[in-house]
Amino acid sequence: MNIYVINGPNINLLGTREPEIYGKETLKSISKKCIQQGLKDGHDVKFMQSNYEGEIVEWIQNAITEKVDAIVINAAAYTHTSIAIHDALKSYSGFKIELHISNPHLRETFRHISYISSAVDAIVAGLGADGYSHVIELLADLQKHYKQKK
Amino acid sequence: MNNNKLLIMNGPGLSDLSNFNEMGYGHLTLDIVRKKCSETCKIFGLKMDFRQTDDETELSRFLIEGIEDFDALIINPVGHSHTSSVDFTIYSSAIKTITRQNKPVIEVHISNIFQQGVENTKPIHVPKCEVGFVSGLGIHSYDLAIRAVNKKLSKN
Repeated sequence: MNIYVINGPNINLLGTREPEIYGKETLKSISKKCIQQGLKDGHDVKFMQSNYEGEIVEWIQNAITEKVDAIVINAAAYTHTSIAIHDALKSYSGFKIELHISNPHLRETFRHISYISSAVDAIVAGLGADGYSHVIELLADLQKHYKQKK
Repeated sequence: MNNNKLLIMNGPGLSDLSNFNEMGYGHLTLDIVRKKCSETCKIFGLKMDFRQTDDETELSRFLIEGIEDFDALIINPVGHSHTSSVDFTIYSSAIKTITRQNKPVIEVHISNIFQQGVENTKPIHVPKCEVGFVSGLGIHSYDLAIRAVNKKLSKN
């Protein structure tokens, strides 16, 4: 499988940004684990991060043209603001999972609304940085289930 | 192999999963889910107790009193066809108590609850607690939650 793991704003600060919420693991370490987990299961994982909304939209559009099999997206703060990312995800017909390191529903009320959740197949949140590798590990099974769903 | 004990609790309405079949999550019965959970727990050497009840009082009492015997909780609070009758505050205080004991808690849903509109099913609200959330992966919601629980317990 070809998999895009897309990360939004401030995720590049992982490890130093509010570690009591987001943990001490750096983005580089998470990226390495995702790619390695992918290799183990025969997936090609592209791991990316941007602080710019438009760039994230373009990556999702690329996933459409490149016929990428699955998107795992941690849109971070754009989750709660971006209709543009919602629309892009709606246009992508592959398997898509919204991921968060913390559980936004247990935090400030401004994080309770997600523009992403209704545009994706599934949501995984609050499992820490390990959430990424858990999702990659199950993706082959998950995609089978998704094909059933279509 | 660690002999940790995991409670998987299914709330009101989940004895009948036929509505999920119509939504395209494959042929699911609670027994199929239980078997899959049991297989995954076996891989990690977790002892599993898989329960379902339609009785909210019994549910909250078991969460508060029964959790003594367990190291972690996976909870599917509700089947969405019954949501209107369920008072979600019953979960909040029980889960707060459990997370304070440093026991991992993960909320799971078979379907993506946000596609049915949050008016129908909302995530459990336990502010400032650490509760994982997995929704929309069908039977694999449980599978992923078990893997995450195992990882969390191995770090404790």
